[in-house]
Amino acid sequence: MTTGTPYGPPPPFDPEAAAVLEVLAARVPPAITGDMLPLLRNGSGAGLPSDDELCRDGLIELADHRVSDDVSVVVGRPPNLRAPAPGIYYIHGGGMIMGTNRVGLDQALDWAVELGLVVVSVEYRLAPEHPHPAPVEDCFAGLLWTVEHAGELGIDPARLVVAGGSAGGGLSAAVTLMARDRGRPLVAGQLLMEPMLDDRNESPSTHQMRGLGVWDRTSNETGWTALLGAARGGPDVSPYAAPARAEDLSGLPPAYIDVGSAESFRDEDVEYARRIWLAGGSAELHVWPGGYHGFDMFAPHAVISQDAKAARLRWLRRIHAE
Amino acid sequence: MRELAGRLAALDPEAGAAVKVIAYFDRLVDGRAGLEALVRGAATLAGCPARLDVPGHRIRVSADGRRSDVDGEADPGWPAEGGLWLERPGPRTAVDAMILERAAAAIRLVLEPDRVREPVEVVLDATAAPDARGKAARRLGLSLTSRAIAYPGGSAGVGAPASHRRAGVGPAVPVLDLPASLAAAKVALRFTAEGTHDDPGPRVVRAEELGGLTVLADAVGPATEPVPDVRALERSAAAAPWMLATLDAVATSASLRAAATVLTVHHSTLQNRLAHAETLLGWSVHEPSGRLRLQLALVLRRLHRRSATA
Repeated sequence: MTTGTPYGPPPPFDPEAAAVLEVLAARVPPAITGDMLPLLRNGSGAGLPSDDELCRDGLIELADHRVSDDVSVVVGRPPNLRAPAPGIYYIHGGGMIMGTNRVGLDQALDWAVELGLVVVSVEYRLAPEHPHPAPVEDCFAGLLWTVEHAGELGIDPARLVVAGGSAGGGLSAAVTLMARDRGRPLVAGQLLMEPMLDDRNESPSTHQMRGLGVWDRTSNETGWTALLGAARGGPDVSPYAAPARAEDLSGLPPAYIDVGSAESFRDEDVEYARRIWLAGGSAELHVWPGGYHGFDMFAPHAVISQDAKAARLRWLRRIHAE
Repeated sequence: MRELAGRLAALDPEAGAAVKVIAYFDRLVDGRAGLEALVRGAATLAGCPARLDVPGHRIRVSADGRRSDVDGEADPGWPAEGGLWLERPGPRTAVDAMILERAAAAIRLVLEPDRVREPVEVVLDATAAPDARGKAARRLGLSLTSRAIAYPGGSAGVGAPASHRRAGVGPAVPVLDLPASLAAAKVALRFTAEGTHDDPGPRVVRAEELGGLTVLADAVGPATEPVPDVRALERSAAAAPWMLATLDAVATSASLRAAATVLTVHHSTLQNRLAHAETLLGWSVHEPSGRLRLQLALVLRRLHRRSATA
């Protein structure tokens, strides 16, 4: 328990990001509880770009593929891309309880256009209807399928990076651990955007940011309890559910971790980077001052959002060049 | 949670856009945001590039929030306020006007942080704290109730209108409600006229005397097409220099004889003029219904001449 850790007032939000939150206030409750889920799932498609918009007048081609009865993927690529190209295996966010493989896809497709790569975005089953290990095993099955079909997808399997935001960041970290432990497939890097890593929900930042911003500790408890039920926070949680539980963070591919200074996940994400370094690994950590959870999606025009997105692109360029 | 992301670009002009614009810029001011963030806010909310061009500062931001170089001079046709331009052809929409007003006010705060605001400005500013407005009212020596006055060019006052100036007069209200009185005064100002041959009508209009006419003010914006009666009035005005003043006198006098006295012409001269006018207008101004139609056409013409925010 770290509730005794002394902490001051919450760090101030970045003014531009905060101004957007002010405008969206009614639509973005900081504290999400289970009873709000049907409404949130219903309304969550509204802000998403359509497939037509994702294709950007022919800059991108999209194709859906079925992996198994439970899992499917959508593959996005620039037409006429020279094969084999680098790949991104993308896992969407939504607190383990919401979202589809189109959530956040527009940013991944920005990378595809900018860097000339193939994006594979997985549709996995959601909690609470499908608790752990369904979501992470679905994501791993999609990753294996991607590597096994790398030839026909035009992907260089040696240059496949796993990427995701929020719950998708946690799942990205988890499938990277699974790939290490199961001996396959090869993962070239893990891009973890504000990842959801720790079911214990007791870091100082979860307390400091309670009731503020986006995805506070009440929301976090809702998400983790949906995934783990009564086991949440207890002694027997698998690192494949909550990567912060992993005792060994050695032998992992290079990690990119970013997070806002004004969000619940701040401390668990900083801690994950610190432990990778301690284990002798490679990690790049960015803490964006005044960012709340998802600031770069809510306020894409804000300067810190532009900088956060540019930093991810620079890292991907370096990783794929290696 | 990432899928809940909403986009400001989807700002709905119908549903509370004004409230959102105010909330956005108020939050930037609270956070002590700089000029670039304020220009970026205007660009993002308006969905077009915005530029600030004031001595010492040239900032251009595109609709997606990227800073770019200022290229060439601002087009005088773009909606603008206080050195801030929205780079698109006018006329300004209601949302544009709100964005420009709030952004320009926030920019003034950054450029002149130590400026001591005039008490009149404070007492009329809805966004100033009630304490500050009460203090400003006491410094002005206002009694319990007062009126706001709107003048052409955006200036404003409190109390009685300055003599010889065209003015809209707001209703008498408790001093803390003066910003609302000013809003009504701005509407009244649009019903005023220069009182000349080209632009006959009252130079001072009181908001509470307008009655149902205020509805017309909302109906006439910069892009509103004039109704046929207004076009007919403009055609008639072009036919004779005495036309508008004569029709205004007829529309606002108790009788034709009284109108002739106002115009200092003989009654038979007036009858001749009206016969000519009725041919051009296409309707009789001798009947009560025709006089109402004439009054409305004259009022609408004034509103069209002052359709941009006063």
